[in-house]
Amino acid sequence: MKHAYADIQSVGSFDRKERPVDPISKPSGPGEESGPKRPETDSPSRDNLMKRMRKVDPKQAEKYRQRTGE
Amino acid sequence: MKNRIFGIETEYGLLIKADQSNVSPSGVARHIIQHLFGQKKHGVIDWHYRGHDEPPGNGGFLLNAGRMYVDMGHLEYASPECHSLWDLLSVDRAGDLLLQDCLDELELSEKVSIIKNNIDHETDATFGCHENYLVSREFPFNYQGLGLLMPFLVTRQVFTGAGRIGMARTADGWIGLDEIEGGRGDLTRGAAEEPVIYQISQRPDYIVNDFFEWVQHNRAIVNTRDEPLADPERFRRLHLLMGDSNMAEETTLLKMGTTGLVLQLIEDGHAPTGLDFDDPVQTLRGISRDQTLEWMVTLSTGKQLSALDIQEEFWEAASKHYTGQDEETDWVLAHWESVVKDLRKGYQSVVGRVDWASKLWLLENFREAEKLEWDDPWLKSLDLEYHNVDLKAGLYHAMAEEGDAPRFTTIDLVNLSKHTPPRNTRAFGRSEVIKHVVKEGWADFLEQTAKHQDPRRPPYVINWSVLQLQGSPPFVMADPFRTYVQESRDYCSDGSAHPTPEALLKKQDI
Repeated sequence: MKHAYADIQSVGSFDRKERPVDPISKPSGPGEESGPKRPETDSPSRDNLMKRMRKVDPKQAEKYRQRTGE
Repeated sequence: MKNRIFGIETEYGLLIKADQSNVSPSGVARHIIQHLFGQKKHGVIDWHYRGHDEPPGNGGFLLNAGRMYVDMGHLEYASPECHSLWDLLSVDRAGDLLLQDCLDELELSEKVSIIKNNIDHETDATFGCHENYLVSREFPFNYQGLGLLMPFLVTRQVFTGAGRIGMARTADGWIGLDEIEGGRGDLTRGAAEEPVIYQISQRPDYIVNDFFEWVQHNRAIVNTRDEPLADPERFRRLHLLMGDSNMAEETTLLKMGTTGLVLQLIEDGHAPTGLDFDDPVQTLRGISRDQTLEWMVTLSTGKQLSALDIQEEFWEAASKHYTGQDEETDWVLAHWESVVKDLRKGYQSVVGRVDWASKLWLLENFREAEKLEWDDPWLKSLDLEYHNVDLKAGLYHAMAEEGDAPRFTTIDLVNLSKHTPPRNTRAFGRSEVIKHVVKEGWADFLEQTAKHQDPRRPPYVINWSVLQLQGSPPFVMADPFRTYVQESRDYCSDGSAHPTPEALLKKQDI
């Protein structure tokens, strides 16, 4: 299951912010509170998140004119 | 994962941000296809008719052995066949980045966004994210066998849904008289239906049948088209079109992994029974629209329980029979248990892992900060932006960058998967032939001599289970579990059998 390229190291600046998780790791036992946890903050108050949301054109959904596909 | 081949087909939306009435999403889609294959040589474009709606030049196979094309005006990416869930995750994200790269290189990213979602809030259009699971021909493809799958599929949306604001109008396309008279505009619209502020999944509004074989009309929970794209005597392909496109990596892994395990439960005769619904379609929709997030359902027996209870029954059966089967199975079982358990604590417990919860969390907090009502159009715009595949703009990607959404692959691996196939399926053999065609310069040759080409006699035809170079016999890859590595290399190296671009040029006296 382990991917053939799993050993590749991230080198870019964006990569360092990513947190790749070992796909074979798993909670330590049934019934334990050991899965991935919710973010530590209660709200997306971090500047970057709110900044990115405020940059979104409030009217862009009206411009999104899609045809029905499958 | 044991005995399984997975694939995902994604139809993307194209948002034209600038006010340019002369730019259409389908026009941009064709521009991107031309750039991807013509300029960037990421694969080989088709020079034959694949169907009445797929003329030559409509799309092609990629170096990673997946396929990129235009379907009903949408860019569509079909992943290569994957035996590993982690390969599937990487190639799925590679499709997103291939398209975003094209936008960047064409200097269109300021004007256009690629949106990986399944609905248009304004027009009620829908487009899909189809899942493919290879099963054996012996799989019980009947009401009895597929009926066992139904309760799982109807309830899995509690962790696979991508979430959306509002609801579509009646899914069968009928327009109520009251709506004609009163016009539209209310996000909670829908004749004689309960108002919906936010629902956990995008596709249930458009699913109107339990079993059916078409994909464009009368969409069903289980598509029954018999098209294995492999040896039909040995294999069958389960094709699902009721799921949402996912941004969250954990959800992509869980959606495909849990469904694969439930198929195995059915194959082995271990699937839970007695969980049938009288009306699976209405139950699917009811769960998605449940504003209480309690997801209580009534079984045909009259018993009441929650969607989480049903998921737990399937998890228990899979855990009992398949723990230790392989590493991927153990990962899926552990995270399946964890997400169901955490959902019982409230949706905030799965923010970053489950798309609908992440989006709701973002919207709730933004709405509060900006003091917006739920019908403010800004929120629908943010709903879309969650699905923007641009790492620099999309809201899901912002969460991942901030550490609020766990990653299960790396950007280097995704970049590698743009042009590298999975190594343990027939995708590898197909990629060898695609590389050969690219290397021989067929793309440039065909571009230069397009007007001389006869689409009935293309120099190559590439398809999922068979391919052919002109002058050589068809090369059949009927078993998706085989790599065909040596056969494909031998096929390409037999230079005397098929012409080179130069030889064909000479022969055709062009």
